Amino acid sequence: MSILRKPGLLLSFLMLAVTLLAMIAPQLLAPYDPYASVGAGRLLPPSPEHLFGTDHLARDVFSRVVYGAGLSLTAAGLAVIGGVIVGSVIGLVCGYLGGAIDFVAMRFVDVLIAIPGILLALIVVATLGFGPLSIAIGVGLGTAGSFARVMRSAVLRVRSEEYVEAARTIGVRGSGVLFRHVLPNAARPVVSMAALELAVAILSVSALSFLGFGAQPPAPEWGALVSAGRDFVAIAPWLSILPGVVILAVVLSVNRVSRFIGGDR
Amino acid sequence: MASVANPSTFMSIVRFLLPKIGQCLFVVWATYTVAFLLIHALPGDPVLAALSVKGGDATSTDPAALDALRARYGLDGPLLQQYVVHFLDLFRGDLGVSIATGQPVVDMIARTFPHTAALALFSLVLGFVGALLFTVWAYIARPAWMRNVVTQIPPLGIAIPAFLSGLVLISVFSFGLGWFPASGTNGFVSLVLPGITLALPTGAIFFQVFSAAVFDAGASPFVFTANAKGLAQRTVVVRHVLRNALLPSITIIGLQIGYLAGGTAVVETVFSRDGIGRLTVDAVLARDINVVMGVVVVVSVVYAVTTLIVDALYGVIDPRTRTRITRTKAVSA
Amino acid sequence: MTALLRVSDLRVDYGSGRRANPAIRGVDFEVAPGEIVAVVGESGSGKSTISHALVRLLPDIARIRGGKVEFDGVDLLRAPVSAMRRIRGGRIGFVPQDPSHSLNPLMRIGEQIAETLRRHRGLSRADAAARAVEILAEVGVPEPERRATQYPHELSGGLRQRVLIGIAWACEPALVIADEPTSALDATVQRHVLDRMQSLAAEHNTAVLLVTHDLAVAADRANRIIVVEKGVIVEAGIAADVLSAPTHAYTRRLVAAAPGLNATRLKPTIAVVDQHIPDSTEPLVTVSGLTKTYGATGRAKAAAAPAVAGADFSIARGSTFSLVGESGSGKSTTARMVARIIPSDSGTITFDGQDITRVGGEALRQLRRRIQVVYQNPFGSLDPRMTVEKIIAEPLRAFGIGTRREQAATVRELLGQVRLAADLRTRRPAELSGGQRQRVAIARALALRPEFVVLDEPVSALDVSVQEQVLQLLVDLQAEFGLTYLFISHDLGVIRQISDRIAVMKDGHILEQADARHIFDDAEHPYTKELIAAIPGARR
Repeated sequence: MSILRKPGLLLSFLMLAVTLLAMIAPQLLAPYDPYASVGAGRLLPPSPEHLFGTDHLARDVFSRVVYGAGLSLTAAGLAVIGGVIVGSVIGLVCGYLGGAIDFVAMRFVDVLIAIPGILLALIVVATLGFGPLSIAIGVGLGTAGSFARVMRSAVLRVRSEEYVEAARTIGVRGSGVLFRHVLPNAARPVVSMAALELAVAILSVSALSFLGFGAQPPAPEWGALVSAGRDFVAIAPWLSILPGVVILAVVLSVNRVSRFIGGDR
Repeated sequence: MASVANPSTFMSIVRFLLPKIGQCLFVVWATYTVAFLLIHALPGDPVLAALSVKGGDATSTDPAALDALRARYGLDGPLLQQYVVHFLDLFRGDLGVSIATGQPVVDMIARTFPHTAALALFSLVLGFVGALLFTVWAYIARPAWMRNVVTQIPPLGIAIPAFLSGLVLISVFSFGLGWFPASGTNGFVSLVLPGITLALPTGAIFFQVFSAAVFDAGASPFVFTANAKGLAQRTVVVRHVLRNALLPSITIIGLQIGYLAGGTAVVETVFSRDGIGRLTVDAVLARDINVVMGVVVVVSVVYAVTTLIVDALYGVIDPRTRTRITRTKAVSA
Repeated sequence: MTALLRVSDLRVDYGSGRRANPAIRGVDFEVAPGEIVAVVGESGSGKSTISHALVRLLPDIARIRGGKVEFDGVDLLRAPVSAMRRIRGGRIGFVPQDPSHSLNPLMRIGEQIAETLRRHRGLSRADAAARAVEILAEVGVPEPERRATQYPHELSGGLRQRVLIGIAWACEPALVIADEPTSALDATVQRHVLDRMQSLAAEHNTAVLLVTHDLAVAADRANRIIVVEKGVIVEAGIAADVLSAPTHAYTRRLVAAAPGLNATRLKPTIAVVDQHIPDSTEPLVTVSGLTKTYGATGRAKAAAAPAVAGADFSIARGSTFSLVGESGSGKSTTARMVARIIPSDSGTITFDGQDITRVGGEALRQLRRRIQVVYQNPFGSLDPRMTVEKIIAEPLRAFGIGTRREQAATVRELLGQVRLAADLRTRRPAELSGGQRQRVAIARALALRPEFVVLDEPVSALDVSVQEQVLQLLVDLQAEFGLTYLFISHDLGVIRQISDRIAVMKDGHILEQADARHIFDDAEHPYTKELIAAIPGARR
């Protein structure tokens, strides 16, 4: 298979497969209990027994990272799914109906996009309280705006295509035109964008949990792991850097795979 | 050619700018409204939340005391009244009082704004220059594989979480080599590492836009004409490709403000710098709604003004927009 | 006489390795000083590739595989790049194809000409600027001093093309390569631009290599013609000889199909007894006072010029009524109003005795069973995600006609009627050629057995040889099913082949309408005469 000739793509698929496993069945990958101290010693550097070393409470960092996958990535996934659904509905309605509804709704969508994603999420967290759900809602709101705009311009573009007009001249009813011609053709850019937004969402979610707004300790959310390791960066840099590198690896893998799906081989 | 002294040109400039200024005001108003709606539509009592963070279990829930506090922080009265009063206060420069520290929000922001501005500007310039260099390098690189490699590097800038790059830089350059301080807000030296950290994503965004624009320009028919005219390669690259490519790149400066506003929160926390980002993070931790609101408004003002300036600049630089403004008609035949 | 340009065994591939696609497969020809040679071919023939290869301005993906291009003693294929940059513009001029994008939008017109003068003639800034204004005058740009300070978007397409010609001739090169210099222009503008090019060539004794898809243009302007098919030269010779006595089968097909060179209306190829006789002498469609103005409402609308200003005509059953005009004439808008795709501002449309001007909703949808449309762009009018079968069956599905099996049978029947193989029905539009897609569009239009079909530039996007096949198909279908056509086109040559009655439009007004023969033999309005004179191929 030609996929073997592209090492980057192959690695990305593998990384995502491992991550998925970590989300569904962490106990298969993690050698230790993420919440219990292992007694081997605190702040140990990476070794064959402890791949990522141990933290200041003598817990195995690698196991904590594995268990953290579910926490961090579920929030990111929820944010994107919510954003796609809400944004697509708004974009579809605005693009297809046009007029006053379009004008008013899009002005507010513009604002949603203008407010930086993290600030938007911060407003939500400050009001709702901390935790992965607040983060998911906050990040999701921001992406909903971008999806609304992308869906709307796709709908506008498709709407003006000749085959949509041709469909009406052969007698297809309005609803038929919308669901059988406009939506399927407009959905493509939204789908490819969703994959890219997932990568962005992972970064936003981990940044917010780094700042302390996610699940509270001892939950091993990835951003929180980096933050906890900050105090020891002079003597035990691996505590922060290794979970950070895992985040980077997952983000790069999602990007690579989504480019592949989008047709850019 | 229309001369600027011409009164009708002046009128058309005004006609062009007025709606943009209106848009500017609208963005600020709409941001305020969206933030206000979010805060009051989501469940939770802001005053209670902030107080419980401050006082822990010892917080009194005596209604009279709470009402007095609400009045003090401007969170009393019907919602509509709060909405209108706070909005009008904005024009007086009054952003309310911080629930956590009791100081006027506007003072807190004014104190920290210059530090963040310095960081943001430094990162913008660094990112811009870096992106430009990479773009030119990618354009003139002859072997296809080298061009591939060069174009893969900048997008990493967005993929790397800012907290990771910041910590790596601290690890290597502060604790490892001791060249730069790991924290603090004094002087240019403390600006370098945070600036580089923030320049990575901004440079990556600049690069994506530059390289797309340069690629588009390079493949366009008028560059073919320039080559067919037998012009020297340097002339073609500078006068035809770059000049036309840089134009659309200006428009993303507004987008960059957005990224910077978010990025400074993380970078200032990692490097323990004073700034609006850290101010906001502390405010959220303290559930201090008034400060968060104040920051959101200030950021939206900066964003709106920047967009306005960029749009005006576009009108000056792009002859096509200039013609639309002064409404000169093309003669046919 | 020694040749100015001698091309020997030129070979160019697109792509490399196993995916290499040979675009030019061994081409030999010569151009003598001062002569005009036309390279004629359809899309994909390789004619443009030849012109770009001569000056080594091919896209990155193309590779020159072999051959020699001798120009004035230098082999252009092996010269160093720095030498090429001196020859291009200085000794070989190039007129590119697309006037709307071939000029730098941020640079003034005068400067774009002066640039090349400073580069190759070493003129000072002031001298080059002055000479640029002179050149603008030479190519026929009115008010040259003012135009030189303007930007490209302030000029019309025709003027921009003249500027490009001026740039090519600025340094008085020995050879000018013109790649489809007028394809994007209206016929009358095209004629003036080509006139100007021809006189420039004569004045400066410049050799011209004119690349075109239009054999009629080549007939008018060139001394010699070279015909290219699939990367190979199939015929070459003096223009008059090639046209009067073509030796190669492909050339014969091109000559026969060129609308400008043909003077006859196509006749149905089916037997007379199978032809449909209309059952009434009343016109099927009558249009009266049809008007449409685009623009905002109120005062702005009242002040704007109408797109269509009071159109009146009627169409007899079983006949073809054509609207001809250049871009902006209002012909498409009129057709779309008659087909009830867009509403009219005022006027009436009568169809089979019934006023359909304000019909809407379900009644309009039902009307679609009798009035159908075929669009210009064969790719745009078919949903790229649907198979041919689904596309043609969609009208049947929309009206609930027949079961699945019956619909499939109807689709097979329709494919046969438009002369397409039945096994194409599982393909998607991207897998079909332009001509095939247009036949699918016609089959779709016929699915509901309409009486009236509006065809908006249905063959303009097709190659010449395919054009004729589709036109013949339309004529046959009309005879067999008694269809009435409203046919829109800018190409009088095509119109001549298919029309019974013609109306000439300009700026929203119908200037003249009469039977086809009368229009071509005894046109009355000066604009009609100008249009007819502008048909390439009329000069022979």
